[in-house]
Amino acid sequence: MNNFWITVAHTAGKRLKSKAFLWSTIIMSVIAIGLMNVENIANTFTGSDKDDEKAQSTIAVISDIENAEITELLSSYDEGEFNYVKYTDGSLEDAKEAVESSEYDYLLALSGETVNLEVEFYGAGTDFMLAQQVRTEVQRMKETVVTNELGLNEQELAMIYSPINFSELPLSENGAVQTEESHMQSYWMVYGIVFAIYMIIILFGSMIATEVATEKSSRVMELIVSSVNPVTQMFGKITGIGLSGIVNIGVILVAAYVGYIISGATYLDTMLRDVIDLSLIGYAVLLVVLGYLLYGGVAAMLGALVSRAEEVNQALQPLIFLAMIAFFISMFGLNVPDATFITVLSYIPFFTPQLLFLRMGMTPVATWEIVVIITILVISVILINLLAARIYKGGVLMYGKFSFKGGIKQALRFSKKEN
Amino acid sequence: MTLEINSIKKKFDEHVAVDGISLKVGKGEMFGLLGANGAGKTTTFRMILGLLDPTEGSVTWGGERITYKRTHLVGYLPEERGLFPKLTVKEQLLYLMRLKGMKKPEIIKEMRTWLERFQVPEYENKKVEELSKGNQQKIQFMAAVLHKPELLILDEPFSGLDPVNSDMLKKAVLDLQQSGTTIVFSSHQMSNVEALCEDLIMLKRGRPVLQGSLKEIKRSYGMKSISIRADYKLDFLQSIPGVLSLEETKDGAIVKVENEKVGEEVFRMISEKGFVRKFEIEEPSLHDIFIDKVGGDADE
Repeated sequence: MNNFWITVAHTAGKRLKSKAFLWSTIIMSVIAIGLMNVENIANTFTGSDKDDEKAQSTIAVISDIENAEITELLSSYDEGEFNYVKYTDGSLEDAKEAVESSEYDYLLALSGETVNLEVEFYGAGTDFMLAQQVRTEVQRMKETVVTNELGLNEQELAMIYSPINFSELPLSENGAVQTEESHMQSYWMVYGIVFAIYMIIILFGSMIATEVATEKSSRVMELIVSSVNPVTQMFGKITGIGLSGIVNIGVILVAAYVGYIISGATYLDTMLRDVIDLSLIGYAVLLVVLGYLLYGGVAAMLGALVSRAEEVNQALQPLIFLAMIAFFISMFGLNVPDATFITVLSYIPFFTPQLLFLRMGMTPVATWEIVVIITILVISVILINLLAARIYKGGVLMYGKFSFKGGIKQALRFSKKEN
Repeated sequence: MTLEINSIKKKFDEHVAVDGISLKVGKGEMFGLLGANGAGKTTTFRMILGLLDPTEGSVTWGGERITYKRTHLVGYLPEERGLFPKLTVKEQLLYLMRLKGMKKPEIIKEMRTWLERFQVPEYENKKVEELSKGNQQKIQFMAAVLHKPELLILDEPFSGLDPVNSDMLKKAVLDLQQSGTTIVFSSHQMSNVEALCEDLIMLKRGRPVLQGSLKEIKRSYGMKSISIRADYKLDFLQSIPGVLSLEETKDGAIVKVENEKVGEEVFRMISEKGFVRKFEIEEPSLHDIFIDKVGGDADE
């Protein structure tokens, strides 16, 4: 056990002291702070201009309807974001030309009757949000005109516009219901964490494999395994790299939090208080750790099968593909989290970390199911690591050209217990 | 504690790497393991260290197998040298020796003593990749002996060293032996084996072909070498039955014969022919015995 901790300290220490680690952590932290403040930074450059631009947007209104009331109302309406100007200097074609020559920003053509109003909105490079706004404003003017014509008083108007009370309730007492807002927020949170699991598996997996292969190729491995049991050493390495990873991620998270404080935003507080179930964060950590151990064991084994550091990538490919498949399935599953194939695939250990989290974050999952899936995952972690340890034990003594089948066979032969 | 190997055999599927090696090395003895490349030396060492399990037979040291509980009593210099290229001498030794159960101050103290002894005290904070091969080997040797092991396994300790460093290392090995360390080493430089060990075993394709004390082996070894100096051609000696080879030198020849009887016959033939300046029957060198026994298998 003592040698285990010596290996952990050596592995983590070597990594933490390396310049590459230091710089990548600093750069990632700066990026994290920056991302948290991206809005503020953007505003510093363009913010004020943007507001002016909106206020100055002028829309030429050309009307073909008998009742000029809507046009009047629009041009006198100054609470909105646009400045509506009545265009009377010519035909629709003239108006279009006027917009093209930048006299106006957009063109609004009204025709038909007040009740069946036909509205055409012309503009180049406009985004759909803008048209929506214009539409809402024109609609409001129409409603005002029509209600006026009908001679409704304020009370009657208030009755029409008073909002209904709509609330969503779960069927069972503890069931969950998604509001649109919570759906979007959990969507992004699940997206973020699934992506994080994917990155952690790939990054730290290849770190483990590279570390093992480097020790093998420099031939220091034989000396080490003459002092410490290779299995102890393998788990020491996985733990050591895991710890340095925790430091790495921890620093970046702290940086992101500092960036969040600086930005002065409050969405995180609301999210943590209202939207995110804290137990879900607990499950995320558990799944990250189990996923790391599962993929880490395989990565260590693959690292032990190669003789040169250059061959690591080739050996790691299947593992990376596996993680990528899990990632793409999750991306697809974000929109259909309760599809049968997502449910089924979430039972497969190599997909569990990402898919189970996806399911738990997006839809209610029965407790018994969570217990079963996590038990399967834990058992697989143990079995895979036992197998990986055997292959590792033989693999570290083995040199030659890399091949999966031959390599694994030879490694098992080397580590064979004979008497 | 005595190292005892009882007829070990190691099979990798159908391939037999080591077959039927038995030996005993007492405390403070130095034992040589000879053989061509691929003769099974490294596999034997790995079995002694417990890195590989023998298919048959057993390896015990003081009556017990060597497991990871006792590795702090064992030092190992692998044939394939390897250290952490990016770590300094101090960093590596700290890690490797901690694995052997040593504490930091002790490691530093021993390291400085050895660096001093090898006349390279300035290397303490140098990265290993900056050192020459010979100097890397000194560090590698230190990694095998810093923790004062009771059993020391040296796989080709002198290969790739210049004569000065080779002598320095040889002296260190002898000193360790005198202080009671049991040493098993392999080499294909026969002169080193002759200079260092009392007992040896010679392997050919995993099997022992010769075993015993160096003196015994040489004395009882049938083949003799005759050194002759004469003023006439000596190649006619080749026709005598029992002459194994004849190598002409600039003023005579070296004749290898099966045994002393054949040597007498050679002497008779020469005396019939004429005067000789020198006629000497010598014991064969280990080199000759090696070539004779391992023969075409040596691929060096």
